Amino acid sequence: MIRFILTRVLRAVITIALVVTFAFVVLRLSGDPATIILGPEAPPDAIAAFRKSWGLDQPVWVQYLDYFAAIFRGDLGVSMRDGRPAFDLVMERIPATLALTLPALMLKLALGIPAGVYAALHQGTAFDRTVMVTAVFGFAIPSFVLALGLVLLFAVTLGWLPSGGRDTVWHALLPIITLGAGGAAALARFTRSAMLEVLGRPYIRTASAKGLPWAAVVRGHALPNAAIPTVTLVGFLVGSLIAGAVVVESVFSWPGVGRLLVVAVANRDLAVVQCILLLVAATMVASNLIVDFLYGVLDPRLRHGAVADA
Amino acid sequence: MTDLLTLDDVARAYVTRKGLLGRRSTVRAVDGVSLQVKAGETLGIVGESGSGKSTMGRIALGLERPNEGAVRFDGAPMPLAGTPEWRDARRRMQMVFQDPLAALDRRLPVLTQIIEPLAIHKIDTDPARAGLEALTAVGLSRDHGARFPHELSGGQRQRVVIARALMTAPDLLVCDEPVSALDVSIQAQVVNLLIDLQQRSGLGMMFISHDLRVVRQISTRVAVMYLGRIVEEGPAADVLRTPAHPYARALVSAAPAPGPRRTDRVILTGEPPNPAARPTGCAFHPRCPVAVARCRSEAPPLVPIASGRSAACHLITPFAKVAA
Amino acid sequence: MIDIYPSTEAPARRLPQIPWFVMLAMGWIGFVLLVALLADVITPFSYTAMDLKYRLVAPFQTFSHPLGTDELGRDVLSRLIVSIRISLLIAFGATIISAVLGTTLGFLAAHFRGFVEQAVLMLADFQAALPFLILALSVLAFFGNSLPLLIGLMGLYGWERYARIARGLAISASAQGYATAITQLGARPTRVYLRHILPNIASTLIVSMTLVFPEVILLESGLSFLGLGVQPPMTSLGNMVGYGRDYITRAAWIMLAPSTVIVLTTLAVSLVGDWLRDKLDPTLG
Repeated sequence: MIRFILTRVLRAVITIALVVTFAFVVLRLSGDPATIILGPEAPPDAIAAFRKSWGLDQPVWVQYLDYFAAIFRGDLGVSMRDGRPAFDLVMERIPATLALTLPALMLKLALGIPAGVYAALHQGTAFDRTVMVTAVFGFAIPSFVLALGLVLLFAVTLGWLPSGGRDTVWHALLPIITLGAGGAAALARFTRSAMLEVLGRPYIRTASAKGLPWAAVVRGHALPNAAIPTVTLVGFLVGSLIAGAVVVESVFSWPGVGRLLVVAVANRDLAVVQCILLLVAATMVASNLIVDFLYGVLDPRLRHGAVADA
Repeated sequence: MTDLLTLDDVARAYVTRKGLLGRRSTVRAVDGVSLQVKAGETLGIVGESGSGKSTMGRIALGLERPNEGAVRFDGAPMPLAGTPEWRDARRRMQMVFQDPLAALDRRLPVLTQIIEPLAIHKIDTDPARAGLEALTAVGLSRDHGARFPHELSGGQRQRVVIARALMTAPDLLVCDEPVSALDVSIQAQVVNLLIDLQQRSGLGMMFISHDLRVVRQISTRVAVMYLGRIVEEGPAADVLRTPAHPYARALVSAAPAPGPRRTDRVILTGEPPNPAARPTGCAFHPRCPVAVARCRSEAPPLVPIASGRSAACHLITPFAKVAA
Repeated sequence: MIDIYPSTEAPARRLPQIPWFVMLAMGWIGFVLLVALLADVITPFSYTAMDLKYRLVAPFQTFSHPLGTDELGRDVLSRLIVSIRISLLIAFGATIISAVLGTTLGFLAAHFRGFVEQAVLMLADFQAALPFLILALSVLAFFGNSLPLLIGLMGLYGWERYARIARGLAISASAQGYATAITQLGARPTRVYLRHILPNIASTLIVSMTLVFPEVILLESGLSFLGLGVQPPMTSLGNMVGYGRDYITRAAWIMLAPSTVIVLTTLAVSLVGDWLRDKLDPTLG
């Protein structure tokens, strides 16, 4: 078990290092930041000064090491547009994003998992088919189409809810529904197939053949086993709490991290983009790591070290 | 007659590891084997599963590189697997596999696969005629050639594999349990086919099998393997009629043979051999009915025991001493 | 011999039973493909032609603009047709790049094992650790935008799935025997992989492509919707929705037409993909 955890932590660290390297390489490949920021007609001494202040006059490997060191110090650069530390800019926006993504996550879990389990237990019924059809549509409708459809219905036609901004609780309703609905459909479909897979296993038939009541079979054998793959997907959903709302925040003019990212990309504010990139990667890797530990708890085979790293 | 294939004190160990940070352990699958295959003769390799006989077949073909010792083919060292020289040498040495269905591409008609070696080695003949000849040579019809592997029976598939192996007219053929996946009634047909083909082309053959009956039928000489080592070797008729090594005796007496019921049956007891936990001294001593104290501590070398025969056992008097 | 398996070349090969909704989905895909191919011929107007007399005309009002016009008087139908072409072009290009890239990396991993395999798996982990939209946005921020770059970028989407599949199947092909057997015949690795292993795993790869394809459409339309994908004056489905959204109160049809096409197309491809998967390869997730 300890070896399993160590392997996973090692992998997580390597992944983060890869993301940092990726950011650095892309940053260097994208051309001379001095000319991008100051414009091609900037005076040469201004460019030289810019290069010096950003460390661009050093050899590449020195810049690479400096880059790593800076990130370890928590120094993620200054927004090239408004001169404030990128990290602060991003942190300011996180509460707004979480105000959407956390309730949306609750909605997904509360709708998706029970719907998936119920559909699997009642395979072939009208409910099951409804869940499946909804799930397929939920996948095919992009979030911006769903968002605009909801706006068209509830804001434009009915006038019940505001279409954008962040002034009242009501403003959060449409974005949360948009985020939650699509995710719930995907989660329901996934839970259903995980559950069906488990229900087809011999140990379920054994458990029910030995006379255990069906409810006990489901509670004691099917659910815990179906939980294992589902946890992975939930981990992914948690990992995307920070940046899962890029499109939806843009549609509803919600001042969160996602909208900041879109604006920063449009303005080519590299420090902010890179800060969000690293933050998202860190969240994702951390939640994957938690999922791995949960696996250890849920799956006794891992707990006893019988399964090598796959 | 010159030796076509020579294995000289060859050993192959595998290092296994549990997980990324796991403990290493070493398994010696083949442990100091020397043997020769001459043109026109068949060397039978006999042993239980885990005796290292398949690994040895792969080493003989250069599919695997031994950790120690040398493999020579027609006097020249075996080239490294995957190199152009090695690929070129495939023309002259071929293999017949245990599971013919697995050895064939299930998406291509078998005739296409039979003539593939011509394209691989850029052999300049008429592929259509060569393919038909090859089909006829292994007793299949033109109609069989158009079928897919799953549309043929096990015996027919193995004939296809043999036809493909013989396409480049090789000098050496290694057969790894070629009939053990087939019905008994089909086994004899395939074995007879191999004998026929060998007599016609004069190739050297290494025939790996756990089935003494089949080995007796096809082999000129036989080597008996136990846990990666040869324990007895000699002319097939002699070794299989009067085995000298206790393990060979046990194997022979366990195999059904025609004739009156035998009274001197040796029954093997104890654990089957496990290459990961090799006993000290003579590897066979825990199961040997005649083991003495020396067998536990000292591994017996393979020494001549009669004309053309050798065995590795402390209790057998070496040939040289008898002669003296 | 008893012939248990039906011959694959049996003359009386019946059409498999295709459910009606899959038929419908295939019909829609065919229709959309036809529209994309014939875009030059069937567009009534140039997609950039402005007709300031007819601004924000609603659909079904005039014969000349059956789907209405936008804020600049451009014909929505013509723009829609061109958008379908661009979006499909990107999705096809990206899916093919991703399949080729992933399969190649998977084969390399299976062939060389060791360090190469670890490196490929590491890259796949990296890809899986970042939501692709974020990755794509970062690259676009750094490199700016152009159609080839966009296709190339989308081509990075989903490669790790093909790589995992190709690696796993190639390893099992080697362990199973036919790959080993052909290597043992003296064939070069390229022959073993391209002539034998690839045809054997093609059906699995094609199923994966039909599953990735709709996701690429969604991704591209999402980026274009945000104004960071296809840039004007060029147009794509997501792009049209993005610009149409400003007129949602006055001229909702501008965004409704492309939205419908996006939803129907992703729906159709994923229905066909699911059906194919169940038919050909139920082991795929």
